[in-house]
Amino acid sequence: MNLPNFYFADLPSEATLSPTMIAAACDMLKRNREKHLLPRKTDEIIKILCEIGAEWLSPGNKFRKLTLEFGSAETGFSKPVLEKGLDDFFRRFTPENFNALLEQELGHARRLDEFVAGAAARGPEFLVHIAAGNLPNPTLMSLTLGLLTRSAQFVKCASGASLLPRLFAHSIRELDPKLGACLEIAEWRGGNHELENELFAHADCLTATGNDETLATIRARLPAKVRFLGYGQRVSFGFVTREVLREEEIQKVIFSAADDVIAWDQNGCLSPHVIYVEERGAVESDEFAKRLAVELAKRETTESRGKISVEESAAIASRRAIYETIAAHRADAKIWSSQGSTAWTVVFEHDVKFRFSPLNRFIFVKPVPDLNAVLQGVDEIHGKVSTVGIAASPEKMKDVATHFARWGVTRICPLGWMQNPPLTWRHDGRPALGDLITWTDLEL
Amino acid sequence: MNTELSHFAARLRELVANPQSAINNQKFSELALELFALQFKHNSAYRKICEARKLTPQSVEHWTQIPAMPTAAFKELELTSLAPDERTAVFHSSGTTEQKSSRHFHNSESLAVYEASLWSWFQLHFGDTGALVFLTPNQNDAPRSSLVHMFEVVRQKFRLPESAFTGNVSADGSWTVDFAATIQKLKAACDVEKPLTLLGTAFSFVHLLDYLAENNLQFHLPKDSRVMETGGYKNRSRILPKAELHAFITERLGVPRENIICEYGMSELSSQAYAASSGTFQFPSWAHTQIISPETGREVADGETGIIRIFDLANVFSVAAIQTEDLGIRRSDGFELVGRAQLAEPRGCSLMTA
Repeated sequence: MNLPNFYFADLPSEATLSPTMIAAACDMLKRNREKHLLPRKTDEIIKILCEIGAEWLSPGNKFRKLTLEFGSAETGFSKPVLEKGLDDFFRRFTPENFNALLEQELGHARRLDEFVAGAAARGPEFLVHIAAGNLPNPTLMSLTLGLLTRSAQFVKCASGASLLPRLFAHSIRELDPKLGACLEIAEWRGGNHELENELFAHADCLTATGNDETLATIRARLPAKVRFLGYGQRVSFGFVTREVLREEEIQKVIFSAADDVIAWDQNGCLSPHVIYVEERGAVESDEFAKRLAVELAKRETTESRGKISVEESAAIASRRAIYETIAAHRADAKIWSSQGSTAWTVVFEHDVKFRFSPLNRFIFVKPVPDLNAVLQGVDEIHGKVSTVGIAASPEKMKDVATHFARWGVTRICPLGWMQNPPLTWRHDGRPALGDLITWTDLEL
Repeated sequence: MNTELSHFAARLRELVANPQSAINNQKFSELALELFALQFKHNSAYRKICEARKLTPQSVEHWTQIPAMPTAAFKELELTSLAPDERTAVFHSSGTTEQKSSRHFHNSESLAVYEASLWSWFQLHFGDTGALVFLTPNQNDAPRSSLVHMFEVVRQKFRLPESAFTGNVSADGSWTVDFAATIQKLKAACDVEKPLTLLGTAFSFVHLLDYLAENNLQFHLPKDSRVMETGGYKNRSRILPKAELHAFITERLGVPRENIICEYGMSELSSQAYAASSGTFQFPSWAHTQIISPETGREVADGETGIIRIFDLANVFSVAAIQTEDLGIRRSDGFELVGRAQLAEPRGCSLMTA
């Protein structure tokens, strides 16, 4: 891959970063922001973002092609999975969606430009992102929000996970070099205190995704002036109500469930570990599991699961061995799985307790008598749930959603959309853009 | 009592009594198939699983096709041919966080096979040990530990009055090391300049070595002293990479790396593997290993990593074919332990900031 050396992550792997280099980059980013980003209007930024989005959606786009060519080796996702992930993400880039986001978070879409009804918003001068390595799109979203707030941005990627952020930054730079000069993308193994302390000292605001321990460690090391936005470990699950378990509708529900398992190979916080299925539908819950297995097998031929590490693969093999043993002894437990690979697994189990899946397309289907049983089953992960994907009739949807919301779920969406949140998504229940903002009130 | 299995056990005991007369591959295969047929017949929990996988003594032609039981199945099922009233002992797995532990049931005959197997292979690796100091509780305090049972057997075989268990069981069931008692033993060996062998789990060594370091204590154990280190950490101490642990042992106890021997065993087995500090693990000739690709379920090539599967003929009354949750690298003369991956452990969001 032949990209110019604009960013730290473009440097050959033998190049080592130093705190001095980090400091120089931070100063430069701040100067560039002052000159090139701060004076711009929201409409202008939205226009550029939408152009970038359209570029990425076009099959001939250089950066899209590079992603698809090198992305599988770098990220572990197969080409169709990457393609679908990119399409879902960049399709959200429309002026309407950006304006809706700004209106939602700021009350008015122009408040980053001027006072509107006595309030003006501004973003952090220097915004740092500590990005997790599992999925690319959350990092792209963080960068997008930072552009909207006119912040100089530095993204620290997990080792081996800088490809997509890099390509995204290059695509911005190509369209608008001055804007691209307000970004820095770097990659190093987390915990390098020398580099990180330098970076932290420059930050006004820092977002971090990762496991809870990582977040706690980062938080403890930040200077007091830095606003910290941590997005920790979350899990998600699905719920299918009995009215949609009819022959007329079932296939659509199965497609949706498979979409959620396949998206990003189930590797994100928004991917389901378990799908709870109400009993006594016209199609029974074990039949649902069986048909989901058939669908996953079919989709493996067109949207294959990516390559995974031997540890991940062993995690699946071990879980399968356990459930094969259980299934041999209990008529009400079943397992379906791909032969000669760990590509997909469906476990059907009569135990409402939420189970952590080893992911990579390993899904539990659990029959439940009703919604209360689901809430009982997920009791242990209370406070840790991100998304619930629901397949229900429109009438029932609202009722079910109210129960889940009361219980503490922060995002409820139709099954099939779990890994595809809108721009207005409040990340883990928090306003993702709004949390970056500092307000100025004008009292006249 | 099942006479077929008893006969098999008696024959095997004789075979394993002399570890140097290794069981060759053909003999191993014959015995493995014979044992599979008996276990299929007499172990109903195992038979059900074999039938579900459509693998029976009629269809299996080679020992490598014999269905392996995941160690986790020992938690859920009673994988034994012994009727409830025949069971006189049970060994539990030592995991601390799991709700259920594995159970390996024994009676006098199966213990006799276990003891013959462990002793024979231990003797070959350790020969003359000098006094034995075990950093584990004794058998009274830890009656359900297969490791402690093994240590007790070894202690009794050597009949050395200076040997001792210097571990305790604390109120919450976890194992601790009695530092004063251990240090006394170490000092005594140094005073009389007689070698000793110190045996324990990796975490008990970390506890001991940390204590020695904190108190600025250092020993130069007499020449030919040895260390046997086994098992994982089970969240009972900080985790040290193997090379670091061994360097720490050398630094604080004065036992050179070549005198540190690693053991690999588990409650679900009746045989153990040993390795030199940096070497590969080897089981005795009555226990064969396969390193299985978790992706394809087939044996990996030399140098590749996979799940460790063991066929232990000494597991006469339970199940001989065991699939562990450990990863190993296949080597021509055995396997290298990669470690216990967090295989069946629950994971949160898979976000990793590596």
